[in-house]
Amino acid sequence: MGPPIIGISKEIERINDLIKHVADTGLNIVISGETGVGKEVVAQNLYQNSPRLGKPFVKVNCAALPEGLLESELYGYEKGAFTGAEQKKRGKFELANGGVLFLDEIGDMPLLLQSKLLHVLQSGEFAPLGSEKELKTDTWLIAATNHNLELEIKERKFREDLFYRLNIIKIHVPPLRERPEDIPHLIDYYITIYTSKFNNKHMLKPGSGVLQKLAKYHWPGNVRELQNVLKRVLVLGGWDEIIDELFISTPSPESPAAVDPLSLKSMASFGGGLLRRDDIQLDSFSLKEIRRQAVDRIEKEAISYILEKTGWNRSKASKILKISYKTLLYKIQDLNIQSTME
Amino acid sequence: MSKQYKMLIIDDSQVILGTYNKFFSKKNYLVTTATNGLDGLKQIESEKEGFDVVITDIVMPNISGVGIIAIVKKKYPDTPVIAITGWGEHPEILALEASADKVLEKPIDLIELDKIVVDLIEKKKNKKADSE
Repeated sequence: MGPPIIGISKEIERINDLIKHVADTGLNIVISGETGVGKEVVAQNLYQNSPRLGKPFVKVNCAALPEGLLESELYGYEKGAFTGAEQKKRGKFELANGGVLFLDEIGDMPLLLQSKLLHVLQSGEFAPLGSEKELKTDTWLIAATNHNLELEIKERKFREDLFYRLNIIKIHVPPLRERPEDIPHLIDYYITIYTSKFNNKHMLKPGSGVLQKLAKYHWPGNVRELQNVLKRVLVLGGWDEIIDELFISTPSPESPAAVDPLSLKSMASFGGGLLRRDDIQLDSFSLKEIRRQAVDRIEKEAISYILEKTGWNRSKASKILKISYKTLLYKIQDLNIQSTME
Repeated sequence: MSKQYKMLIIDDSQVILGTYNKFFSKKNYLVTTATNGLDGLKQIESEKEGFDVVITDIVMPNISGVGIIAIVKKKYPDTPVIAITGWGEHPEILALEASADKVLEKPIDLIELDKIVVDLIEKKKNKKADSE
């Protein structure tokens, strides 16, 4: 079903090791990591190594559905439960019974539904909408998120009690830029897959020079981005043009124009701008104000950077920035962020 | 204590591990330590005769203390497990639900912990003697 977890880095070896040891426990798991690192692949590997293999593996993306729809998707409903409920619908919890329910983007689950999920985890039972009868569920819950749930708890966006109940086992998948030694292995794997998928079209393996450049690239889209690069190489027939594109659209983090917005170097440069010695007005000096300005500047640069990178695809950018679409629109306006492309 | 009992301590703080190790080694326990849940689980799996007691922190990398308790109690239901938490109410409830024999909150009084360990090992011995 799912692909194996490819890589030779210590982190990937550790993940494979962890999977072997916990796949038969049925204990709740949270998989964390940036977009595109392969959290679903980890979930599939857990399932494949578990005694539940052969039973359903049901996936629900908590960020993709509005609250009401997500609730009926998870728990189902009885005929006549609400206007439009013309026939009974079985929820994913029922469909995943005996198998795995993979809750992707759990950090985006609305608080009200978090409470309901907590109840299901505590009692092992749930009631479809409009039903008075509670159904028993034997579902292995694997959740994934690209949010920092600890931070979301502090901001009261995620329930602490639910967090502890889900986070019995945690698997963190590090970003690709932190494990460049995995890149050649991922390339080999996907070349084999794509070659057979696209009518045995020959695909050039990258030479050592190209590999070195790929290892230096910071892969904001992680493995998914690498897959897209490989598909483009397959279409265009060579690496050179694509390598150039990668570094032109997102120059290396060393160049000032593309400073990693969250790097320390970048932070320091902000301080320099805010605290020019000759224009400090001591009577209006306020650490709070300095902080506000620094935050605004760093947010502006980070958001601009991601927007440029995604070609001003606001929906994609909001996902990368891990803020809601609405918040992103507000920030674009508030921080007066303008496209250099338009 | 004449017999050397085997004790596994899992905690992601080297300082805490070092303190417990020193204290319990002096008390004639054969102490094994692990700095995270997975390494702790591996120790449990490789110890053929089983540990006489397991002491685990709750909030840890990879496998949490709650996970360790659940796994140990499933595979070795008679092995006493003591959970240690510094994180308020919720993990404590979870640890008890996972059948921890005792849940203690940090900071830990080592003399008190030792008494609990002795008591739990004694109970385990008596239970075994009863069933034989």
